[in-house]
Amino acid sequence: MLMPRKVAHRKHQRGRLNGVAKGGTDLAFGEYGIQALEPGWLTARQIEAARIAMTRAIKRGGKVWINVFPDKPVTKKPAETRMGSGKGNPEFWVAVVKPGRVLFELSFPNEETAKAAMNKAIQKLPIKARIITREETY
Amino acid sequence: MSQTTLVATTGRPTGSAAARRLRAEGHIPGVLYGRGMTPISLTVERRELRVALSGPAGVNTVLSLEVDGAKYPAVVKELQRHPIRRTVNHIDFLQVNMNEEITVSVPVRLEGEAKAVLSEGGLVDPAVDTIEVLTTPNNMPNEFVIDITDMQVGDVVRLADVPMPSGVTATGDPEMPVVTVILTRAAAAANAGDDEAAEGEGSEAAEGE
Repeated sequence: MLMPRKVAHRKHQRGRLNGVAKGGTDLAFGEYGIQALEPGWLTARQIEAARIAMTRAIKRGGKVWINVFPDKPVTKKPAETRMGSGKGNPEFWVAVVKPGRVLFELSFPNEETAKAAMNKAIQKLPIKARIITREETY
Repeated sequence: MSQTTLVATTGRPTGSAAARRLRAEGHIPGVLYGRGMTPISLTVERRELRVALSGPAGVNTVLSLEVDGAKYPAVVKELQRHPIRRTVNHIDFLQVNMNEEITVSVPVRLEGEAKAVLSEGGLVDPAVDTIEVLTTPNNMPNEFVIDITDMQVGDVVRLADVPMPSGVTATGDPEMPVVTVILTRAAAAANAGDDEAAEGEGSEAAEGE
């Protein structure tokens, strides 16, 4: 699973998820992409599950890019603990995603298979997302 | 080269709120600038812009921009889009001199099907979407078509291999890859497995003899 090798601060504040993505909203590498339509946190497990679903669906002959990285630690207090006594322990890592952000990109010769694979990946994500292609209209 | 007329209106209010109102009414805020001229804030109709840029040259269409009765030859320099709706939020027009060279990004289109690559589980990967070229607006190509039918695994089409029409010069490094053929790890592993199996069969046959 994806996670940082070392961090400056072990515990982060939660932050806000207002607005839309400022960058990373266009395809940079592949022919197809998965674009987030809602804000949310993607855990490293969810990113990995989506990647595996996509790579299994395309079998071979394709290339997958992951454009988001889970660099935010999320802490949790142990079960049945009284409130107080400081912040909990880091439990997992998330990527902060705002609407418009391209999460994954894919290159594959067959459009139908590529879109089917991306739909399988979208199923693994906790937010609404859609498939985008390089074709643009004005 | 294709030239299309586009009518623009000046005297738009500036600021984000005013721009938002303009977009809601079907206008796209923009700006026209160029060498030796004062930039002009303007708006164009969304529908007209769509028609103007839907020709064979796409976003590289040379426009005849009609601003307050004056006509300016212009190209689209930058086009900002809404990250989700993908509609055009703002557009920059660059006034051009038809005899002066400008730098433009021309799209690359791959043609054909690389059967040899597909049979080995490889992938034809366009390393770039566009090629930056130096040309006059009159000589601007609509697109570069690269035939990938005869490509094999390991082949690379470099910038120097892309034929340029006369009057067009690529600005990038001639050694820059434009199209590459890559063998994914899964495909390489599968091919290695096939080879091993073939070797195994061969040795068994040899032992049998």
